[in-house]
Amino acid sequence: MVIKILGGGCPKCEKLEKLAKEALTDLNIEAQVIKVKNMQDILQYDILETPALVLDEVVKSSGRIPAKEEIMNWLEGIG
Amino acid sequence: MESINGILPVVQSGLGSLAAYLAAHVILCLLPAFFTAGALMTLLPKEAITRYLGKDAPKWISYPASALGGFVLAVCSCTIMPLFASIYKKGAGLGPAITFLFVGPAVNILAISFTGVQIGLDIALARIILSLIFGIIIGLLMERIFRREEAARVAASSALFSKSGKIPGRNLALFALLVSILIIGTLQIPFLTDSMFDISIPSDWGKTLQSWLEKFIPANPDLGIEGVSVQGIFLVGLLVLITAGAFKGFGNVDSEITGWTIASLILIVLTLLFASMPVTVNSNHLTLGFTGRFAIELIFILAIWALAKNKFSTREVGLWLWETWRFVRQIMPLLLAGVFGAGMARGLIPANWIEMLAGRNTIWANLVGVLFGVFMYFPTLVEVPVAQTFLSLGMHRGPLLAYLLADPELSVQSVLITNTVIGKKKTAVYVILVIIFSTLSGWIFGMLIT
Repeated sequence: MVIKILGGGCPKCEKLEKLAKEALTDLNIEAQVIKVKNMQDILQYDILETPALVLDEVVKSSGRIPAKEEIMNWLEGIG
Repeated sequence: MESINGILPVVQSGLGSLAAYLAAHVILCLLPAFFTAGALMTLLPKEAITRYLGKDAPKWISYPASALGGFVLAVCSCTIMPLFASIYKKGAGLGPAITFLFVGPAVNILAISFTGVQIGLDIALARIILSLIFGIIIGLLMERIFRREEAARVAASSALFSKSGKIPGRNLALFALLVSILIIGTLQIPFLTDSMFDISIPSDWGKTLQSWLEKFIPANPDLGIEGVSVQGIFLVGLLVLITAGAFKGFGNVDSEITGWTIASLILIVLTLLFASMPVTVNSNHLTLGFTGRFAIELIFILAIWALAKNKFSTREVGLWLWETWRFVRQIMPLLLAGVFGAGMARGLIPANWIEMLAGRNTIWANLVGVLFGVFMYFPTLVEVPVAQTFLSLGMHRGPLLAYLLADPELSVQSVLITNTVIGKKKTAVYVILVIIFSTLSGWIFGMLIT
């Protein structure tokens, strides 16, 4: 499983990264977390705003910080 | 001894600005402005605006929508760039994207209210109106200049732009209340500032404290340096307490609202109310005045509290407060350093320099203002205390506006990122257009007011 955090290092992006890592720890799932900061790379995904969370190349959220429970649902494949 | 005598007034000038600034300006203007900016970021569904920025939107809708989007969405640069790139690559195209980019940094709720309080309502209004008009003109010009290239570009499109969003009534009510508090707190009209009735507190120390403050941080009307009042020093103390409480109460407020959060909020409310009471120091007592401002602020704050508690979820309120605190942490440290620095500079720069360069409203003086804005990079909002220093040193209000328009638009950093999105040639043309139009804006404004 690969999680990408899209965003140019703003505090919101760091918050999202922290939440994603917490969700992984809580569920005891191993996954690679990659930060994508380059604007060109970010624009490859269909988003209007950062921060965005991409799970195995599928955009799950953008322009907002999702709740940890939401991220946990995505990780478990429910949401 | 010589050198100490030379340094002391400069440091006093910096300290004077800092304390006067904290006491007078931060509380009634910036505290509500930060809360408003936080609310706009978290509680305004962006789809309500981005739906008008898609590929098929007609020009007469996409340009005004971009300008409005710059005004309400772009409070921080981390939103501006991705949205700018998306509008350019997947949405309404180069023109509206440029309009958005131009309006965003210059016109937002923090910058406007701060400019209004520190420099004057005329400059604040000119900053809004001219940015909106010239933002649209520059966008249209860019589209016209590059129409061939743009027509050849195979634009992607995004379904995201057609997502519709409505702003719920409770959110609109919250925005309206917050903006009202901002306006009530800063407007200088007799109904708001005159005391309806006074209460007196006996005190012997008031006078002593006042004379001590006057000695340590003297006012200097020639340089536009305000002194610090007894009330001011109490407000500074309250702000320090709020900051301490906020670190504990707001750091994780998005996941949990704690007792510290509530305590900090109550402290903020009390500080706002105290700041709206005029305090006079007499020989053996202090007089507190109850003003129209006090009454209205109290009513509106209670209304906001009730609205947030009953109509919004804990998570929504938490995210709003977290975003507000994030703005404060991101902007305030640099702003305070900037105010101190700009205050010191006031004691250092010989007055006739500024007057010679930009004391009169000429095209040349306006260009100097703009170029200074381009080559000096100041962090968010710091351009305002810098402008105030220029004003007190004799800069004409025309060139001052030109500087205030150009400074946030054209920082080296933003030009570099713009460059990665639209390429060297378009960026160069954009920079030149901004320089021309900012110079013209200042010049026209300068002529209108004289």
